Amino acid sequence: MIDRARAGDVAAYESLVRRYQDVALRTAYLVAPEADAADAVQDAFLKAYAALPRFRRGAPLRPWLLRIVANEARNRRRSADRRTGLAVRAAVAGSRDDVAPSPESEVIAEEARGLLLAALGDLRDEEREVIGARYFLGLSEAETAEALAIPAGTVKSRTSRALGRLRATLAERDGGPADG
Amino acid sequence: MADQPLHLRPDAALEDALRGLAGAIDWPTAGPSPAGGPDLAAIVRTRIEAGGSAAVTGPAPSRWSWRPARRALVVAVIVLLAVAALAGAASLGLPGLRLILGPAPISPPPSLEPSRSPATGGPGSSMGLGTRVELADLDAQAGFDVTWSADPTLGPPDAAYVDRSKGGQVALVWAARPGLPETLEPGVGLILTAFRGGITDGFFSKAINQDTTVRLVLVDDARAYWLSGEPHFLFYEGPDGVIADDRRWVGDALLWADGPITHRIESSLGLDRTTELAEAMP
Repeated sequence: MIDRARAGDVAAYESLVRRYQDVALRTAYLVAPEADAADAVQDAFLKAYAALPRFRRGAPLRPWLLRIVANEARNRRRSADRRTGLAVRAAVAGSRDDVAPSPESEVIAEEARGLLLAALGDLRDEEREVIGARYFLGLSEAETAEALAIPAGTVKSRTSRALGRLRATLAERDGGPADG
Repeated sequence: MADQPLHLRPDAALEDALRGLAGAIDWPTAGPSPAGGPDLAAIVRTRIEAGGSAAVTGPAPSRWSWRPARRALVVAVIVLLAVAALAGAASLGLPGLRLILGPAPISPPPSLEPSRSPATGGPGSSMGLGTRVELADLDAQAGFDVTWSADPTLGPPDAAYVDRSKGGQVALVWAARPGLPETLEPGVGLILTAFRGGITDGFFSKAINQDTTVRLVLVDDARAYWLSGEPHFLFYEGPDGVIADDRRWVGDALLWADGPITHRIESSLGLDRTTELAEAMP
């Protein structure tokens, strides 16, 4: 499919877009919640199509695409004049069919969801991105490194630091001391 | 454990809570399902197949040798402008410049005459580029800071012109020499033009025929266009719609904008080298 798209087969590329559009939209939303994710993803897929000749044959496509999406979203974040956080649905039960219910969904109570979301909003952009890539998008460390254009070692250290800051922020918001 | 405050939970539990949160986030969705948004994949395909007024075909063929490193991220969307099928004008987002994709409102200039000799009044003096000015006076005459490529192999231009009748276009001309092959204009190796495009200004128009290829490329990560193949012709249409009758043929050209200033390099150096020169603009 990738080879056909590289050769200019637009229908093949459309299939690739369809395969990765959901994770691309989530990536864009994660990086720039205040921007129009669909807009960013459209432009990113156009750029990716143009850049396909430079895609290394045999390399994983998903993180390569997400890197372009993240860059596109980041550009829009810089130009946005307001900041908003991720929005959470009222109830997990209302989730769409294509979002598989997570076994961890029940681990977090509804009120804790809001608290966690607010704490995420206190993180720095690069920390929120790495947390989102690892835990929301389910990317591996290697994929996260490629998608966010940072070394694999940085993914590890930044994740650890972000979790620490998240814990501290949660403690602050919850009125108790952080444990560890 | 679910009742324990989040900040007191062990790392693994906090990570689980984050994974659980993913299912509750109101993620944007793609169609075409009724629950989703617009059919994103179809929109992307449509934009590829018909970006603006131009048809867009596949990525650049592999005959391009993409050297990495400093060179521009020359991308590969090939825009083949089929004149018969795609009549109209495309602004391409470059201030003050548009492409005529179909019958031009003015006839082409006379056929190229390859036997012509270099102009005797200096490089570019017979091209209708305007009044020749000294480099020291260029900024004042143009009304904006005129720059050219800092590439060490190029050096300062051999001649500079300003044409107030064409929106104050500045044309910098380098004579042909070893390493700077002739353009369509005998004796001329490279022409860099710059003009300010505003809504009250006129347009430089490029009439593209079916054998001219327009590629979307990047210059310093900004959108640019590379016109190559068969020569196209260039003319100027003033804000009052009057077309200046000094049409001229143009060969390979790179077009890009830096803010309100649109730049155009005409050269026979090819896409890669021309892009390098463009990216060396201060």
